[in-house]
Amino acid sequence: MKYLLSLFILFFINFTSAAVITDFSAPNFELTNSYGEDVSLESLKGRTVVLEWTNHDCPYVAKHYRSGNMQNTQDFAQKEQAIWITIISSAPGTQGYVIPEEANHLTSSRKATPHHVLFDPEGTVGKIYGAKTTPHMYIIDSKGALRYQGAIDNAEKEFFRINDFSKSRNYVKEALKEIGLNKPVTNKTTKPYGCSVKYKS
Amino acid sequence: MFKKLYTKKQIIKFSLCFCLAIFSHFSLSESFFDAGKSSVTIISESDNVSENDFLLVGLFFELEEGWHTYWKNPGDSGEGASIKWELPKGFKASPVLWPGPEKIPFNPLMTYGYENKVILLTEIRSPKELSESVKIRANVNWLTCKEICIPQEGKVELTLKKGPKIINGYSAMLNEAVLTVPKPYPLPFRVNTLDKKIFLQFERQGSEEISEVYFFPDEYGLINYADEQKLEKNDNSFSLELTPSELQVNKTDLMGVLKIKTGTLEEFYRIEIPLDNKTTHPLIAMSLFTGIIFAFIGGIILNAMPCVFPILSIKILGFIEQSHGSKEKLFHHGVIFSAGVLTTFLVISSILIFLRASGEAIGWGYQLQSPWVVSLLIYLFVAIGIVFMGNIVFGSKLANFGVLAQNRKDLMASFFTGVLAVIVASPCTAPFMGPALGLALLQPGLKSLVIFLALGLGFSLPYLLLSIYPQLLSKLPKPGEWMQTLKQVMAFPMWASALWLAWVLSAQVDTQSVFAVLLGALFITLGLWLLEKTQNSETLLRPISIGISISLLMLSLWLIPTNDDNDFNLSEDLNSFSTEKLNSLREQKKAIFINFTADWCITCKVNESIALDQKTVKKLLDEKNIVYLKADWTKKDPEIASILTNYGRTGVPLYLLFPPVGEAIMLPELLTEDLLLDFLNKIN
Repeated sequence: MKYLLSLFILFFINFTSAAVITDFSAPNFELTNSYGEDVSLESLKGRTVVLEWTNHDCPYVAKHYRSGNMQNTQDFAQKEQAIWITIISSAPGTQGYVIPEEANHLTSSRKATPHHVLFDPEGTVGKIYGAKTTPHMYIIDSKGALRYQGAIDNAEKEFFRINDFSKSRNYVKEALKEIGLNKPVTNKTTKPYGCSVKYKS
Repeated sequence: MFKKLYTKKQIIKFSLCFCLAIFSHFSLSESFFDAGKSSVTIISESDNVSENDFLLVGLFFELEEGWHTYWKNPGDSGEGASIKWELPKGFKASPVLWPGPEKIPFNPLMTYGYENKVILLTEIRSPKELSESVKIRANVNWLTCKEICIPQEGKVELTLKKGPKIINGYSAMLNEAVLTVPKPYPLPFRVNTLDKKIFLQFERQGSEEISEVYFFPDEYGLINYADEQKLEKNDNSFSLELTPSELQVNKTDLMGVLKIKTGTLEEFYRIEIPLDNKTTHPLIAMSLFTGIIFAFIGGIILNAMPCVFPILSIKILGFIEQSHGSKEKLFHHGVIFSAGVLTTFLVISSILIFLRASGEAIGWGYQLQSPWVVSLLIYLFVAIGIVFMGNIVFGSKLANFGVLAQNRKDLMASFFTGVLAVIVASPCTAPFMGPALGLALLQPGLKSLVIFLALGLGFSLPYLLLSIYPQLLSKLPKPGEWMQTLKQVMAFPMWASALWLAWVLSAQVDTQSVFAVLLGALFITLGLWLLEKTQNSETLLRPISIGISISLLMLSLWLIPTNDDNDFNLSEDLNSFSTEKLNSLREQKKAIFINFTADWCITCKVNESIALDQKTVKKLLDEKNIVYLKADWTKKDPEIASILTNYGRTGVPLYLLFPPVGEAIMLPELLTEDLLLDFLNKIN
């Protein structure tokens, strides 16, 4: 009886908890992209998907783009045949909230190469995934399992002292490489660092 | 005071500028740096420093209204300041001493930091030899945030003259800051995990009303920052409930800062304690590879354990009987048997992993915690013993235990012999198995499956070898009369196992229930005897005896205690507290221990799990002839309440230890096994 109860609780918790567990299936979502099209995670099954939570005015995000670190990681993902999705969970009126035109302008001006920029102004998807910071990175494999979540790299402690990220350990690239080789991901979960996601309060 | 300091700072700033102008000596650094929204000033307790001395130096951050900077663990986002020192040769800087932080919620996230102002302290050690004047410089990077964050960067420096320390205008400020740096907690505290929550418990003296308690963890991945930390207050102890983070990153210690606020006074304490004594077990150090080897060896040895040996020796008898038969068939049976063994191990380990995932504290033999399972095993062992002793045949004319035969049905029998072997093995632990299984249960799913599989492989290895190399069988004695005798002899270890299980059961349920199960065992024996007696009968007697046997079986199943409440082994009724009982025991000059508890009292539950329920405690209570009484205050009870008041308590827990003669000893609210044993040992 006690066991049955705990099983029940286990399922219950899995459905309500506001975080995703690495190596379990990633929750599906559907959001509108900067061209007004609806994009769902399910429709991308068969491809590795990288999720990047962003806020272009956050100094952490700004530096990752200014230094070319983020674009470089995007190029790497492209070579690994992965789909790159940038998600903005900033609520209207908060830092990082943009209209589609601005989003497209940011993409072209920063020479970024995401497949989609998605808007999550209600913060629903961000909260389901437990996205805490910008940037906060997630990788979902072709079967729909979450394989990595956390920081883009290990440069946190030195972040504002360095300009060259090529010497940092890029967790996203490492994980993509391992997923490509059908290997288990070495660092599945790392501490994300950056600005807080500007959720609707 | 602050105004004064500020003017002094401005004077320093001004005079520095003045010097720069005069000597046109180009330097970017001065003691004050304004980054906009916030500024940083380097201050020290003295303008002089002597050789081989410590100097307290602080980085004083002042932030604009509404802006904050972060603690060393910023919480969900942000980053604490980082300081790089440029020191003259021979000087050394200590790590930053961070003052206790504040909660800065940013719904739904939580961050930790400082608003308005903060001083980050560092101790600078001077070398044995010193020049007349030295410069120490700090390169500081920090974040200043409101809703948005601004990364800031500055260099500040300080010139020190050689000479004895002289207190200056900053020393009072620095000493005040020292008081805000967390210090070790002076009273006992401990941590325990219960029902997926972490409970930090601490004692406290003094009558001031505590208005807030908060635990700031040192690192990511221990607790969920944003979750409310609930406080349970007892008289002199407190329990703070922490929610483990959804993504636990291998944490073995609870490390962080405890903030206790009374009125306007905020105190900060350092907390460092292993998270769960149970998990800091040396076997964690065992590698997966060693675990697999241990499991494999343990599996082989398991064959020789008293609860398994009979079943398997009979199985070998079957092999011997068939040793003249087809080698191919023999091989099939060996493989199918092993498949039965492995499947059962896989099923058991999957269940264990699943239960573990749901937070149950489990181990090998966890099933024996349920009186239901123990009773069924008693019946099973008794029945197997009877089957060995007698000549009973089940179902078909051939499918006896362990007999090898030719058709598919008998291959099934081999499979189920494997299943049965594992089931009867479940109450047994062989050497080597313990540590391996302990490791298995701590490993993630797949790895623990591998360890269980290694165990299963070891377990079935002897039969696999015999099936692959039937020539080995020729080393065994030839079949004959002795086999029947051996089978009968093997009934005794089976019954011995049943006896042992009855003893296990007696610790879980009351005497009457144990008796009921023994009666059930008698009925099973009777039923089996009836079946054997009539097995060759063609008359009506056969169906009648089958009917009776089935009824007897049902009856014995009905006799199994349904009381699934294996909560506590000290039987409730006998030990429940009443004033009369206490008085009469006192008159008899007995030593008495009373546990005042309630189901809703977390501290009580934790005390029970880590101290009262320990075997050593029960044993000592028995040895010392101390009567255990449980006063359950789950429902308010005026009798218990009046005793609590007598001892100056308004609630539970309360632990009283009455020596045979004299006044009761009041035990602390937070018990540990050692502490409790110490107190009990004082009783003669």
